Parts: sequence; structure tokens; C-alpha cells
Amino acid sequence: MSEIKKIKNLKEFSTSADRFEGANLLCPGCAHSIIVREVLNATNDDLILAASTGCLEVCTAVYPYTSWDASWIHIGFENGSTAVAGAEAMYKALKKKGRLKQPDRVPKFVAFGGDGATYDIGFQWISGCFERGHNMMYVCLDNEVYANTGGQRSSSTPIGSSATTSPAGSTSYGEKKMKKDMMAIMAAHGAPYVAQVAPNKWKDMVAKIQKGFAAEGPVYINAMSACTTEWKFAPEDTIAISDLATDSLVFPLYEIIDGTKLNITYRPKNIVPVRDYLGAQGRFKHLFTKQYEHILDQWQKNVDDKWTYLQRREEASV
Amino acid sequence: MEKKGWDGFEIGAMLRSFDGAARDIATTLPENRPYSQSNLFKASVADWRIEKPLFNKDYCIDCQFCWIYCPDMSIIARDKKMVGIDFDHCKGCGICVEVCPTNPKSLLMFPEQKDEEQALAGWPKKEKNAKAEEPKED
Repeated sequence: MSEIKKIKNLKEFSTSADRFEGANLLCPGCAHSIIVREVLNATNDDLILAASTGCLEVCTAVYPYTSWDASWIHIGFENGSTAVAGAEAMYKALKKKGRLKQPDRVPKFVAFGGDGATYDIGFQWISGCFERGHNMMYVCLDNEVYANTGGQRSSSTPIGSSATTSPAGSTSYGEKKMKKDMMAIMAAHGAPYVAQVAPNKWKDMVAKIQKGFAAEGPVYINAMSACTTEWKFAPEDTIAISDLATDSLVFPLYEIIDGTKLNITYRPKNIVPVRDYLGAQGRFKHLFTKQYEHILDQWQKNVDDKWTYLQRREEASV
Repeated sequence: MEKKGWDGFEIGAMLRSFDGAARDIATTLPENRPYSQSNLFKASVADWRIEKPLFNKDYCIDCQFCWIYCPDMSIIARDKKMVGIDFDHCKGCGICVEVCPTNPKSLLMFPEQKDEEQALAGWPKKEKNAKAEEPKED
């Protein structure tokens, strides 16, 4: 096992040399690259990466350029996870046969996917990887919408959100269904480590990524990625919106170890009303009319219920 | 660099980020890396900007919030110090200015044509907090 990179504080972290290059075509203020940087900088080891089709893939590999300073595989929408799993299986086989050219260098295997590739299209492939128990990490960049193709709903889109295939109007308040609980599903696979992270809480995130790298077996990371284009807020507010999301507990930060033991890793000092988080984004604008006000109350209730549930899970440690 | 059409590719094409052998990239700073012509580091998105951030090192406390939250790797940090901004890769989103905790901010957005010396000369002074100003208003 290779050494874990020491990151005590932000000053020390800032001596890292990025392995992800700028001048990619992601929108100004996109949280995707903040997440990718935090993941890649959490280790100094060699990396073998893949990205499922989505904003991240199409924006970082525009011919004749690549944004990645590590081995990176350009692959289909559904099989980012299996591409990395295949590379990992090959690594294991070569290691067993003693045919690795540099056996002292232990690479890390990471697959990135958007919420479309994770919650819907690539779900079966990811489930397969986790069932087979590859030693890899899957990072879901969860922006709650198919942002790359113009804002269609995915099964990660939360209730009341206006997307192009679930538009809000005089008869509809937008998306009708609740967000799929991907964390619970991945934990139910018996994965050694499953965690929810947000880029604005960098220390919590880097600690979780390092725990994930240290774990033996498939690791699932659900990273909240605030989308300035589809959530409809100004590009400079990415971190402010992310702060609202974590402080209002819409995105609680927690981890599940060995599929059972749940730890809450961030408890906001002042819990912000969900209304503040929703009001800051254009996709929920219609909820602040008389007609759809009841959805706001339902939102708050959903978030409170979830938080109570997580606290009870943590207390019972089951 | 020769550009191929969509049908000029072989299946399993590879783009190299670096020329020749590149080892330990994670511990090599960008200025020492053998970037190839197909690395996006060689490209620029400077024409995306309407406003640019300017940096005043007199007020900077090297907290590195701008470094960690910059989505475009455009904040240059060396030896735990904030050194400057990479204007080839900055898209002008303004996150660095929003997260800057100093008073006055050591990063501010200016129109793209603004002269840096002029901007630094006219940098806003420390804002007094609201409580201190209240008695004057009375």
C-alpha cells in the first residue's frame, strides 16, 4: 500500500500540482472541476481514470486537446465504471503474473460520472462493478439534471425542480418525483465505503476521498455539483449555493462504512431554512407563488425527516 | 499541429498529454512539465472573459480559499503563497472574489480592458463595519 498524502491545512494542500488542466470548456463557475481537483489532489499516486459521457467528458476532451495529465479513458455514457473496472482487473492479472513493469507503483482507479450516467443510464454497470468488488472509486458528480444535453430531468432531479422535460407552468410545479436515494442503494451492495461530499467543505471531502483510496474494494462518492446553468444562479455564487445546500441539510454530509455503520461528518452550527436554498435558484422560482407554496412545506418536511432518520441511524449504528 | 477529420482516426486513438516520458507529474510543477501540443494547458480561454480578477498582494493573507475553489486552476500558488492569476485559463467566473475573506478584498473584478496599475492605485480602502458608522448617522 502506498503512502497517504499528508494534508493538514489549506496552505499545505496548495502546494499540490494539479493534474487537471484549465482551458477546458466547462461553464465559468462550474463545480465539476472543483470536485475533480479535490479528488485528484488528494493523492500523489498514479491515476487511471475514466469519465462517462456528460459535461465533464465532453468539455475536457475536445479534439485535439486533453485536459488530463493522467491516464484517462474516453468511453460511452453507461460504462465509465466498467472501463475502470476492466483496467483494474488487468492490473491485478498482470500483478499476479509478475509482468508489471513498475511493480512498486500502485495506481488508483477512479471513474467519474454525472448523475445521469450514475442514477439512470450506467446504473446496471455500476451495480455490476460493486457486486464483483473491484478495487476502484466511483465519483458521481451530482448536479441533479442532464445538464450536457440541455437540462432534461434525471432520477436525481428533486421534487419541484423545473427541467426541460418536466417544466413548471400553470398546471405543473415541475418534477413530481422525489430524488432517488443512491447512497442507500450503493451501501446496500455492501461496499466498504460510501460517502456524500460537497466541494465547499474541502477538508471533509479530501478526508473522505483519502479514506476511500485506503479502503479495499469498490467505493462510491456522491459529490454535490452546483450547476450554474441549469440551477440558474450567477457563476460567482457556486460556493455560496453549495454552502446553502449543506447548511440547510438538503445535502447532508455523511458516510456509510461496510454498508452498515453511518457517520454524520458535518453538523451545521446554524441550520438554514430550505426556503433560502430554494429561493437562491431559478429552477425553483415558481414555488414562491401562491399556487405551489405547499411544495415548499413538503420540501422542508422531507429534509427534516431525512435528517432525523440519519441521526437515528448514526445513534443506533446500524 | 496537423488536424485530422472525423474519419482520419483509427479506433483506439490516443492523445498524449506530455512529450516523451513523464513520471511523477503529481509532484512536478506546471513550469517543469513537458507539456505536449495536445494538452489543454497550451490552449487559452481568455476570450471568454468580460471581467477579469485582479490581485492586490498588500491585503492577501495567503488563506488559499481562491486556490481551492478556482474551477479553472488559474490561481497560481507557490510555496504556500498566492503568487498571481493565470489569465490564459481564467474564465472570469468571479468565485475567487466571492470567497476572499480579507477586508478590503485582495481580489476584485474589473472590466477586461482595465489597466492593472490604475486598478491597484484606486483599490478600495478598508470598510468600517456597520456598528462603528451608526453614531455618525445619528
